[in-house]
Amino acid sequence: MNPFIYTRPADTGAAIKSLSRGNQAFFLAGGTNLVDMMKMGVVVPEKIVDINRLPLRNIEAVQSGLRLGALATNSEVADHPDVLKNYPLLSLAINAGASPQLRNMATVGGNLLQRTRCPYFFDLTMPCNKRAPGSGCGALAGFNRMHALFGASDKCIAVNPSDMSVALAALDAVVHVRGAGGDREIKFEDFHRLPGDEPQLDNTLAKGELIMAVDLPPSAFTKHVHYLKVRDRSSYAFALISVAVALDLDKDNNIKDVRLAMGGVAHKPWRLRASEDFLKGRSATEDNFKQAAQIAMQGAKAYQYNQFKLKLAPNTILQALKTASGQV
Amino acid sequence: MQNDLQNYENPRDESRRDFLKQSSLLSAIALTPGAIRRAAENKWDEKIADEMGKVPLSLEVNGVPYNLKIDPRVTLLDLLREQLHLTGSKKGCDRGQCGACTVHADGARINSCLSLAVTNDGKKITTIEGLSRGDELHPMQEAFIKHDGFQCGYCTSGQIMSAVALVKEGRTQCAEQISEFMSGNICRCGAYSNIVKAIQEVKNQQS
Amino acid sequence: MDKSLIGDPLSRVDGRLKVTGGAKYSGEWELPGLAYGVLVPATITNGSVVSMDVKAAERAPGVLAVITPFNTPGVPGFKPDASQPVRGLKLFNDKLIYFNGQPIALVVAESFEKATHAASLVKASYQQDVFETDFDKNRDKGVVPQGGKYKDYVRGEADAYKKAPVVIEQEYRQPSEMHNPMELHVTIAAWDGDDKVTVYTKSQGVIGTQRSIANAFGLKPENVQVNSRFVGGAFGSSLRTWPHEIASVMAAKLLKRPVKLTLTREQMFTLVGHRPLTIQKIGLGATSDGKLVGITHESISQTAVYEEFTEGSVNVSRFLYESPNANTRYKVIPLNVGVPAPMRGPGEATGSFALESALDELAFALKMDPIELRLKNYTERDPERNLPWSSKYLKECYTRGAERIGWENRPSKPGTLREGEWLAGYGIGCGAFGAFRGRALAKVRMMADGTVNIQSATSDIGPGTGTAMTLIASDLLGVPAGRITFELGNSSFPTAPTQGGSSTVSSVGSAVHDACMAFKQKMYALAGMPENSSDPIDYVAVLKQHNLPFFELTEESQSSQQAKNYSMYSFSAHFAKVHVHPLTGAVKVKRLIAVVDAGRIVSYKTASSQMIGGAVGGIGMALTEEAIFDHKYGRYVNGNFADYHVPVNADIQDIEAIFIDKPDPYINPIGTKGIGEISLIGVAAAIANAVFNATGKRVRELPITPDKLI
Repeated sequence: MNPFIYTRPADTGAAIKSLSRGNQAFFLAGGTNLVDMMKMGVVVPEKIVDINRLPLRNIEAVQSGLRLGALATNSEVADHPDVLKNYPLLSLAINAGASPQLRNMATVGGNLLQRTRCPYFFDLTMPCNKRAPGSGCGALAGFNRMHALFGASDKCIAVNPSDMSVALAALDAVVHVRGAGGDREIKFEDFHRLPGDEPQLDNTLAKGELIMAVDLPPSAFTKHVHYLKVRDRSSYAFALISVAVALDLDKDNNIKDVRLAMGGVAHKPWRLRASEDFLKGRSATEDNFKQAAQIAMQGAKAYQYNQFKLKLAPNTILQALKTASGQV
Repeated sequence: MQNDLQNYENPRDESRRDFLKQSSLLSAIALTPGAIRRAAENKWDEKIADEMGKVPLSLEVNGVPYNLKIDPRVTLLDLLREQLHLTGSKKGCDRGQCGACTVHADGARINSCLSLAVTNDGKKITTIEGLSRGDELHPMQEAFIKHDGFQCGYCTSGQIMSAVALVKEGRTQCAEQISEFMSGNICRCGAYSNIVKAIQEVKNQQS
Repeated sequence: MDKSLIGDPLSRVDGRLKVTGGAKYSGEWELPGLAYGVLVPATITNGSVVSMDVKAAERAPGVLAVITPFNTPGVPGFKPDASQPVRGLKLFNDKLIYFNGQPIALVVAESFEKATHAASLVKASYQQDVFETDFDKNRDKGVVPQGGKYKDYVRGEADAYKKAPVVIEQEYRQPSEMHNPMELHVTIAAWDGDDKVTVYTKSQGVIGTQRSIANAFGLKPENVQVNSRFVGGAFGSSLRTWPHEIASVMAAKLLKRPVKLTLTREQMFTLVGHRPLTIQKIGLGATSDGKLVGITHESISQTAVYEEFTEGSVNVSRFLYESPNANTRYKVIPLNVGVPAPMRGPGEATGSFALESALDELAFALKMDPIELRLKNYTERDPERNLPWSSKYLKECYTRGAERIGWENRPSKPGTLREGEWLAGYGIGCGAFGAFRGRALAKVRMMADGTVNIQSATSDIGPGTGTAMTLIASDLLGVPAGRITFELGNSSFPTAPTQGGSSTVSSVGSAVHDACMAFKQKMYALAGMPENSSDPIDYVAVLKQHNLPFFELTEESQSSQQAKNYSMYSFSAHFAKVHVHPLTGAVKVKRLIAVVDAGRIVSYKTASSQMIGGAVGGIGMALTEEAIFDHKYGRYVNGNFADYHVPVNADIQDIEAIFIDKPDPYINPIGTKGIGEISLIGVAAAIANAVFNATGKRVRELPITPDKLI
């Protein structure tokens, strides 16, 4: 790890200012991703702005729903009574990720900024447009078993590794950020971006902007939810495919409303809007679930080693829908 | 104490950076040639720069207060092992991928290898060395011995720290839940089923 | 307090140290002036280093030395000798690069952080040559390994299976696997003057390490003190002295300061061995009622270009089943990879996956129960060496395992048993591993208060060596276990073999046995009692009577001539019950029963744990473990603990060890045959066979990840 200046600003204003003054300055929250990348030399900060003491850790009910402070830890969110009661999908998704120790460190804001686990990104000796723009994509013709099916570009086929974000995408969360120019809100679906020609940019934050909170709008998805994560071992592994399902069923088992999002398939949490549209108003049957799963796969493109995902993804969607609707 | 340490936005930071970049203090100070040579031989400029790069850190480890000045790159794990000589916490991957370094920070289990020590300013850290009371082992330590929840012993400190936290968290409803919430602690010897038994015993003692 | 008996479930004697963090592993010794070493890996895969720029690294704060091939102080024992084939990597001795990640520099600094940072500043320019890491691309380049051990073997007629009424001919693939012990490989070296060095290192054999370091630095062995009191797992990765260990001794000599060199987890993927990628072809021919008429077993595995290692996969097919015709063949492919090393159950773990899978395929083709097929081809003699077994209770293993797992619930038609939404299936996989006994010494000393201290330069990488030895001594001496201490991991103790090949209790346990017996006889003699008396003796009174502050003796122990008349193996039968999810391809090992004929079990509690632990390793081999290369760059893409998946707690459900626990009459005075390897051998096949039984899908390429089952 290279030497860096360590600062601990007293308030958000000072933090934002401190970040803008350094060329290679980074906010440090839980550190579970940033410190790892610093050790690997993937990021080489000149300045670390430790924001852990900023008062952004509250989880509180607000007029627009539930507000998750950017520095609330993953564990605090997953275990929060309001989350468990009103947003159980989020709790399931968080607990499917990482380990209890990491979830005690990792924060809401940090999780949104979690970078890809693509091996080429982490290995300084191999090409990666995300780490070193213009160096090429090692995964494109390399080991791409974990990689994207949707929205990739020939510059980058990496996937976003977050589980929490898959649930937040499904729940229509809103991200509150603050920068030198003031505060703004970003719809969750607009927060992460596709790689396109600039895979080095994971999200739409402007330089120096600080995530303040994530708001969850009121939700009817309190009962029929499921987060299914298929991986190479039973726990503590990144997703091959993950699916977040939230169903609002009427007494006749018809689908009043539905949210579907997938992880492990794109550069951002992948919301399955077409499948949702198909399911809305239909009955919760295995046949409809199967069709929804097929619809979700439109436009999928696989590479040499992730062909299996073309089958595993719809299977996982189907299984998650069956589980959420109580059909297994 | 915490207030003093909280606002560590040092106005001299940027100038210190410049200082470090210049790398040689000697050129800025008028010294006799002999003194310069002696200073260079003793790497004084390096030592001074080194000191200036350090950050104050106050924390409590196993009830013992420490007031330190450390290189901000030092992780909590390396601080414990290399500077405080508390080697019970282990390094198995140094990347948050194995759990051998698990300690409690203000009661929560964390991977100390991914926590820069300076970010623990004002915190109370508990390591495996702080779990027993004198000769009296913590019930989890006793249960690990009884159920043989380890072989080589290298992951054991992390397993026990994790297990103690797990019981407090209430994640002990069934073997499956225990296993899931102990999955952040890898054991290559494969003592998992005995670890689960040890945890169940402690849980049953408490209920 | 009573004495303990061999076979008692004694809790680990070093348990308290391990649960309190008090056990000191090799990297944890505090030495004044300790400096930190960090290796710089090459970033090319074949070629040589042309030049290096180490200025920035040398100028970085706190740096003490940057050792490279251009400035190495050298190692006296590294004399180039053209008559000798290249064996082993001699760090910094020349500029050649054989594999990606090979160290090209060692940076030593005042702190770990400073050394790590400075290491990142080292620059090198290379001459890059064409490299080969792709096993499949080079499959036609296999060569027969050197040494008589690996020559082709033929009993009866080669390839006789082809003419049989029922034929199975299949290929099985097992990827490179990493030992990945939890403890990072680490060495601390501290010189005393220029002719004595003390080394704390992760070693399975302190005597072997002592010899290697003495040879490398031209020292008398007694001037090299090697300590490895606690070892955080190894599984074969510390059987030899690795180049980085020599490098740390070299750096400490240069700097005249103690140096600690710790490998990173990533470096452990290239520098401390692996179980090599192996493809095996099995041909089985049988009569229509299931009698084997021919077995052919061919293996081709990867090795390094700079040193040959052969995974002994095919041996098992020569002796495990009765067949008039059997032939085996080894080949290796030298590639630009770090050299492999024996990994838990070396050879047999790999071989039994192939053989036992093929046998399951044969049983299916014959519509025969897999256990019945094994019984039909059971051997009462070793058909390879044509010798009687010293002991063999494999039949009992079949019976007890089948009963315990509920074999009668196994569907004869695959893919037909459902439990909830899951497909369920049962499988069996058997194993065997040679039962060895090496020459070992032990010293027994009793103090005037009757406490006993025993020393032997053996190791404990986790099985509980001290616990087993304490039990043997307690039983034989009649002294309570709590009054006995057993010390190991120190090269100044009486010589013992390296801990490997499941032979520690057989070798060192016998030495402890013999030393205790001799001790007892001497004490009886001192007491004026007949030497072979079984009457109780008051040692303290005897010592007092003779005014002795202590009494000690050292005894050497080794195998008898009679033992050579027998073929000696441990045997195991593993039974697995799995669930497979039909949509997601997830596999859960619901139950695993390991039934073992390993002779007499000395330390019941730790032996059970060792068996269960081996089964966990087998689950990893079957379901999760694979080291993956990118052949364009010649580098691992999953060289870390997040992406190389060893099993986690949630992967493990119900595992049970059952011991036949009958002493072997010939191997050693205790009758123990060894369990370290046998605990893993056969597990992967049992799981793969259970997956077939659950799904009807035969997976011949490990690991069985979800993508292979959907």
